Amino acid sequence: MPKSQYVDPGKVFQPGYAEFEKIPLCTYNKTIKDEKANYKKEDFLRIYHDMRTIREFETMLNEIKVKSEYRGVEYHNPGPAHLSIGQEASAVGQAYCLDINDFTFGSHRSHGEILAKGLSSINKLTEDELYAIMKEFLGGTILGVVEKNFKTDNVKELAKDFLLYGALAEILARKTGFNRGLGGSMHAFFIPFGIFPNNAIVGGSAPIALGAALYKRSNGKPGIVVANSGDGALGRGPVLESLNFAAMDQITKLWGMDGKYSSAGMPILFNVFNNFYGMGGQTMGETMGFGNPARLAAGFSPTQLHAEKVNGYDPLAVIEATTRKRDLLLRGEGPALLEVATYRVSGHSPSDASTYRTAEEIEAWREACPIKAYREKLVKARVATNAEFDAIDEAIIERMVSVIKLAINDEVSPRMDLAAEPDMISSIMYSNNHVKSMDESREPEVLIPKEEDPRVKQIAGKSRWAFDADGKPVPKMKVFGLRDGLFEAIIDKFYEDPTTIAYGEDNRDWGGAFAVYRGLTEALPYHRFFNAPISESAIVGSAVGYAMAGGRAIVELMYADFIGCAGDEIFNQLSKWQSMSAGILKMPVVLRVSVGSKYGAQHSQDWTALTAHIPGLKVCFPATPYDAKGLMNQALNGTDPVVFFESQRIYDVGEQFHEGGVPTDYYEVDFGDPDVKKTGSDVTILSIGAVLYRALDAAKILEEKYGVSAEIIDARSIVPFNYEKVIESVKKTGRIIIVGDAVDRNSVMRDMASNIAEMAFDYLDAPPVVFGSRNWITPAFELEKFYFPQAEGIVDVISEKLLPLPGRVPTYNETELEHIERSKRGV
Amino acid sequence: MANLVIMPRQGQSVESCIITTWQKKKGDRVNEGDIIFSYETDKSAFDEPAQFSGVILHTFAEEGDVVDCLAPVCIIGEEGEDISSLLGGAAPAEEKKEEPKAEDAAPAEKAEPAAAPEATKPEGDRLRISPRAKNLALKTGVDLSAVTPTGPHGRIIERDVNAALDAGKVGTTAAVEDFLRGIVPEKKEGSEAPASAPAAAAAPSADVYAYEEAPMSNVRKVIAKSMHASLSEMAQLTLNASFDATRLLAYRKLLKERGEEMGLSKVTINDMVLFAVGRILPKFPDINANLVDGKIRRFAHANVGCAVDTDRGLLVPVITCAEKKTLAEVSADAKRLAGGAREGKLSPDEMSGGSFTVTNLGSLGVESFTPVINPPQTAILGVCCTVNRLKADGTVYPAMGLSLTFDHRAVDGAPAAKFLKELCTALESFDLLLAK
Repeated sequence: MPKSQYVDPGKVFQPGYAEFEKIPLCTYNKTIKDEKANYKKEDFLRIYHDMRTIREFETMLNEIKVKSEYRGVEYHNPGPAHLSIGQEASAVGQAYCLDINDFTFGSHRSHGEILAKGLSSINKLTEDELYAIMKEFLGGTILGVVEKNFKTDNVKELAKDFLLYGALAEILARKTGFNRGLGGSMHAFFIPFGIFPNNAIVGGSAPIALGAALYKRSNGKPGIVVANSGDGALGRGPVLESLNFAAMDQITKLWGMDGKYSSAGMPILFNVFNNFYGMGGQTMGETMGFGNPARLAAGFSPTQLHAEKVNGYDPLAVIEATTRKRDLLLRGEGPALLEVATYRVSGHSPSDASTYRTAEEIEAWREACPIKAYREKLVKARVATNAEFDAIDEAIIERMVSVIKLAINDEVSPRMDLAAEPDMISSIMYSNNHVKSMDESREPEVLIPKEEDPRVKQIAGKSRWAFDADGKPVPKMKVFGLRDGLFEAIIDKFYEDPTTIAYGEDNRDWGGAFAVYRGLTEALPYHRFFNAPISESAIVGSAVGYAMAGGRAIVELMYADFIGCAGDEIFNQLSKWQSMSAGILKMPVVLRVSVGSKYGAQHSQDWTALTAHIPGLKVCFPATPYDAKGLMNQALNGTDPVVFFESQRIYDVGEQFHEGGVPTDYYEVDFGDPDVKKTGSDVTILSIGAVLYRALDAAKILEEKYGVSAEIIDARSIVPFNYEKVIESVKKTGRIIIVGDAVDRNSVMRDMASNIAEMAFDYLDAPPVVFGSRNWITPAFELEKFYFPQAEGIVDVISEKLLPLPGRVPTYNETELEHIERSKRGV
Repeated sequence: MANLVIMPRQGQSVESCIITTWQKKKGDRVNEGDIIFSYETDKSAFDEPAQFSGVILHTFAEEGDVVDCLAPVCIIGEEGEDISSLLGGAAPAEEKKEEPKAEDAAPAEKAEPAAAPEATKPEGDRLRISPRAKNLALKTGVDLSAVTPTGPHGRIIERDVNAALDAGKVGTTAAVEDFLRGIVPEKKEGSEAPASAPAAAAAPSADVYAYEEAPMSNVRKVIAKSMHASLSEMAQLTLNASFDATRLLAYRKLLKERGEEMGLSKVTINDMVLFAVGRILPKFPDINANLVDGKIRRFAHANVGCAVDTDRGLLVPVITCAEKKTLAEVSADAKRLAGGAREGKLSPDEMSGGSFTVTNLGSLGVESFTPVINPPQTAILGVCCTVNRLKADGTVYPAMGLSLTFDHRAVDGAPAAKFLKELCTALESFDLLLAK
């Protein structure tokens, strides 16, 4: 909501028509004779070679899957194989014109794209560059296998063996695969060649590719990003969100900041391989209504994303169109969309009985085979003879037999031995690195010196301790609050790491809905700090791609309730890429989520349990300014994805625990380390998040009315979590209640209670009990005391289940009988 | 007419705002629309324009002050106007806010529990006790049958065990184990009198675990090391036997009654055993021996160690050449050495070089035990108390027990048993032994 752009009631209602340009459909009409000017013989033949290699590779996979045998080599592969036989020209045509700095992202059907980009890169890199890449990758493991078994002095030939072997070993889950077999068929990739991850989730790559493009755009990196997807993916929200995000006006209209910075558009090509079926659903005519996928682009921007449709069965047509798109992206006119019409003659997977299409249709397309057609044209135009093509075929088959033999040899290509090395996967779930700046070669781009920032100046006048010299609370307006702790850590990182960016809904100008970012607008240019469209999938997904490409991102979901809107991006993408890449990729992303209050059922939920359930994420929920700043500092210095929960109840709370208040200097709070906020001897209260302050009130009641001394431990982080301090406390007190604002059922609290019961059974005087919110919707603010745990309720539960308190008249019904009854009713 | 300018409410959740800058000062003239002051919430900054023209007659807050929303900030009017009605009661929010409330000021002393915890009734027959209370019961041997449960579902919890301990209701660990297994001791008639239990017996619960820590004395350290080495390095086993002590005791009686002139009235049973041991030992060279570095040192003389309980711990002075000494000499040596040991006056020489040791727990009523060999010796004799036994003919005789521990590495079972048998025979006919 920049003030510079005036919404004028005088213009808004002017009559007229929205106009669209024509979208070109398959307009390429050159002959081989025409193209001889653009291609040498070896180029023509290389295109054939690459298409033929992909065809043979997938034929091999298909035969192994269907017949457990390929050219006399027997093997059984239980893993997936989503083949794209028939789509080779589309993949090779695209890769032909891409540079090493151009990144590709793909779908679950991307063997062809990987091999095409790999072969194109091998052609473009020098022998020295190629050898250095292979030697460095995974400590030279794959190169070692290939060099030993394929005796050749030709580095380019060796690199082809390396590519085919590394990809196949990955597909067959071998430790010598590109990602040590942890990615598999649908997640194979090879970053040094610009081949970024493919994705088993249809459309999953679109926001990630967008993030990689954002990285290039915000950090001035060369090259473009290609987001490959099928036509089926166009039905997915994250893809549509990404198209919109990439095309948003501000990139060309505001990011330049009056000529100070670049006004280039997003350097991303949305490349849709339209094979007419999303698995079996026919997109044109059945499950969609767009006519041609290219038409879809017209609505996203007046540029219509430069959309056109190209014949994906003609590699030269694909090259011609992709080159034009790439050129315009490099000129800063992005984003662009290209529909590449193609056809998959193989099934969706080997179990596909093609119940959704006729044998005639498949046969017609088999007849139209792009490889066969291309070869015939080249023979006819006298570029090469059939004998020359046969020789190419034979060499490819010979290579493929050698590669499969090597990849299934358990001695040469073993799987991970988790019996011998049980921690192999554990050790790559997190990278646990400590990196202050993701790019130390550059100075961060900022608008003013940090000390001149109005928020920094405002904070300087605040009290960093919640009480004055007389022990009276400092008024909220004058105290350094939790939101100030977050801000301090974040602005420090912006002035330290040039790659750090932050975005989300209403971040700029507004300063974030809860004012954490107030003061960042003045300090940062648009390309580092901007308002995202209301597109949670694209917000989180692009952060994943931004981090993959080498940057650090802080993204925000205004309410934790919106986690559902970014479900796949948080649960499958953000969490898993470090481990699926065998530790090759890093994921320095902090996802800030704010837990609401007073705002009812869809704006007040603590969803820590959902994120803590997913392996690969770190999760924290600080409740004090000291912890918020310390945890944010550590999160921002790390290389792991962190879901950072904040509570809207306590953004303005001052520091009441850390002696001396919140330090102005840099410090970190360790993830996983809970903190004893108050010592006591009779009962332990383990609190998660903002409920800490109600736990303190409960402790006061216990002490003053019943002479019971409570120890309060603030969990601070949830994943990882060190139980030692809690167990020590339980050994002392013998009793523990775990409290939090999340609904009781399947909460983190329940998980902790079960772990504590196991770890401290002999010391317990009563079972660990949990007091969370009721298994309801969140009611209106005025009714919240019946829903969220309150101090009196905590005392009631203690009296009812841990330590009956003489004379206690309960406010809440927290008996066991009631618990059983509620469970019966599912509430 | 003068008007109050109030702090606007910027949003439902905003309670107060901070005045950042006064754009106009007291006495300044303002026109409608002029910015009077700037202020901010914790989220945003705002400017407050004047809604009427006039002179600022009074300000209620300084820059940096926190002002409650809807509270007065300043007064705009014309010079000389009476504004006293507008001034009444208005004060900066901050001061007003921080006046301590009466209920807050109440001293927050730690409350004592209002009443004793109420007893809860166990549901069903099953004993309910928390793991923690169970561990405490086993550790303290509390009388579980006397514990009143106050936990949920009639569960015995930690405080219940402590309450019983406070009331002095202590039994044995074995009884706790029985109780936990469901074996409840039968209550005897009239034994139920906890109320009359002497108050002195009731120890405060905090003292149940009270202890003091004492450093180990040097003697203790030596004993610890030696005894541990003994048990961990040797192959020890113990043979128990007894003999008819009728004649031994008769002879001792004789000495007591008539031996005073000969200086023999103080001869003890132990002296007599030492004497007998001294006589028998030379016949058993592997028992009158030390085992050092895989070699057996067979001693030419019977140098009999004599275990003495002292304040500083166990000491073992040695009666040298016991095989040659008369009963009177052995007795005199034993007395001298024991006295010296107790007073700490013995030289190290007098406490080393033993070839065998005799230790006596009989005077303390021990019927049989497992003496621990004093390294590097190969055996030790334990002297036990006498008990009355029935002979086959129905007559009663005093049987004295002997416990011989030997190191099986040096001595086999049969020779050890032979030594013990010969010793028993010799002691049974002690008067005959004297003649030898």
